[in-house]
Amino acid sequence: MPGQLFKAAAIAGAAEANEIGFLENPVTALELHIQAIKNVCDQTGIPIAKIEGVFSTGWSTELCEHLGITPKYIDTTAVGGCSFEMHVHHALAAIHSGIIDVALISHGENGHSRRKIGGGGSGNYGAGAGALSPAAEMSMAYGLGGAPSNYSHAMVRHMHRYGTTSEDYAHIAKVTRDWATLNPRAAMYSKEKHPFGGPITVQGVQESRMISWPLTILHCCMVTDHGGAVLVVSPKVAAGLNNKPVWIAGAGESMSHGNMLEMGDFTATSARHSAQTAYTMAGMGPSDMEMAMIYDSFTITVAITAEMLGLTPPGEGHTLWKDGHAAPGGKFPVNTNGGGLSFNHSGMYGMPLLVEAYRQLSQTAEDGVHGDKGKQTDARTCVVNGTGGSLSTTGTLVLMADD
Amino acid sequence: MGGDPKLSYNKPIPNQGNHTKPFWEGAKNGQLMLPRCVDCNRVHWYPRHICPNCHSTNLEWIEGSGEGSIHTYAVQHMAFGPWAEEVPFVTAYIDLKEGDRMLTVLRGVDATKPEDIQVGAAVKVEFEQANDDTFIPYWRVVEE
Ligand SMILES: [Zn+2]
Repeated sequence: MPGQLFKAAAIAGAAEANEIGFLENPVTALELHIQAIKNVCDQTGIPIAKIEGVFSTGWSTELCEHLGITPKYIDTTAVGGCSFEMHVHHALAAIHSGIIDVALISHGENGHSRRKIGGGGSGNYGAGAGALSPAAEMSMAYGLGGAPSNYSHAMVRHMHRYGTTSEDYAHIAKVTRDWATLNPRAAMYSKEKHPFGGPITVQGVQESRMISWPLTILHCCMVTDHGGAVLVVSPKVAAGLNNKPVWIAGAGESMSHGNMLEMGDFTATSARHSAQTAYTMAGMGPSDMEMAMIYDSFTITVAITAEMLGLTPPGEGHTLWKDGHAAPGGKFPVNTNGGGLSFNHSGMYGMPLLVEAYRQLSQTAEDGVHGDKGKQTDARTCVVNGTGGSLSTTGTLVLMADD
Repeated sequence: MGGDPKLSYNKPIPNQGNHTKPFWEGAKNGQLMLPRCVDCNRVHWYPRHICPNCHSTNLEWIEGSGEGSIHTYAVQHMAFGPWAEEVPFVTAYIDLKEGDRMLTVLRGVDATKPEDIQVGAAVKVEFEQANDDTFIPYWRVVEE
């Protein structure tokens, strides 16, 4: 039986900034935010002035000031790429409690443009105790730099424990790229769009440049520009929209550690717990899910997460891709936008998960702009899972199509 | 932290915290000092202000054996700053004999043959002097 918050709120709409990807003309994170907010309000018919709650990774004050609004609910949760799934969870609770009826969740990050113009990319993500933390003190000597250098350790432990190989995970990169070739907005849509775009092979993934063994560059996400926004609304507001809502059936969040030094089990994440909370709220389980949007910062991230979400037994996450189920036309589509691996990943990827889940469940994933023929699935339920930090933090949502 | 001209250590050197001083003092003498909870008797790493297992603040330092095993590892082909000159190099998380885990750059292994490195292999700690106050622990695979 579903819990109290089952369908207590809906995603009213989801939109992106006008241009995303490897933008030639540099953009600021703020521009990306504002374009997406304008677009989602136009899409839904909900005026910006009606926004009552603002949820973002540290940006809420600046956004509200820029928009000239004075919200009554402010949330700046910034715990990595899964923050946006948590924002949906928090908005659901705020709406259920009657504090607000319309919540804005906004993302803007110029991961690519920042290299040219700097600044303001990730909204205070991960500042914490910083250099004064004892975890940093006991880690900083050892030459790790950036996410790939950490995540590779999880892949090696998974290989050791379950006998998987890096080639098993290469199937994930290949299949996810197949999805990207159906999405004109994906950075790796085609050779015309990007010199390294278009279809890839498992062998090509394995032979690409080594970054942190066993992760080659094609096992890793890109760093691009992205802005996205969703509106989460009460059932009352959802009844009067321009477009179809998508219902929030379940939500959960959790964490296991911050620094990878404290990751007890390198083959598991807290998605096991956040998913359980979300499934319980929804009164559903993994076998009720018809597709998934799973944070794929690296191939190993999505493989482990598939196991945590109960979509496969432990150690077999990669088989969803290797056996073709997750692929276009497969029985269990995953990451239908092309993923952080081949669609877009600005640093924090939680927002694109929400946007694509909305499009799939509202049957707008194949509109010629955000999808070519073959991208739209017939899924009516979708499990969405964001992962932040170093496999540290997770937010899980169970979403359902409108009746 | 003045650099000793006799020392060639050019990698990042940690800033020492107040509550981690016993660790760095021990390192100068080649001792691997570890924090242990007096109440639940468990060793934890990194050093805490409170026991992460039972939440006691009754903590002490013990001299560890300096022995452990490889929990997992990776080979870094891309790095930043002075470490960029060392690629490829092997990083590893080490299970301490006393419990809990440390990060290290692994010594005594061939970074060009990652498949030859064994999860579970025995390792021993050694210290490299970085400056007057800092000796940094590194772990080395024990020859069989
Ligand atoms: Zn204790």
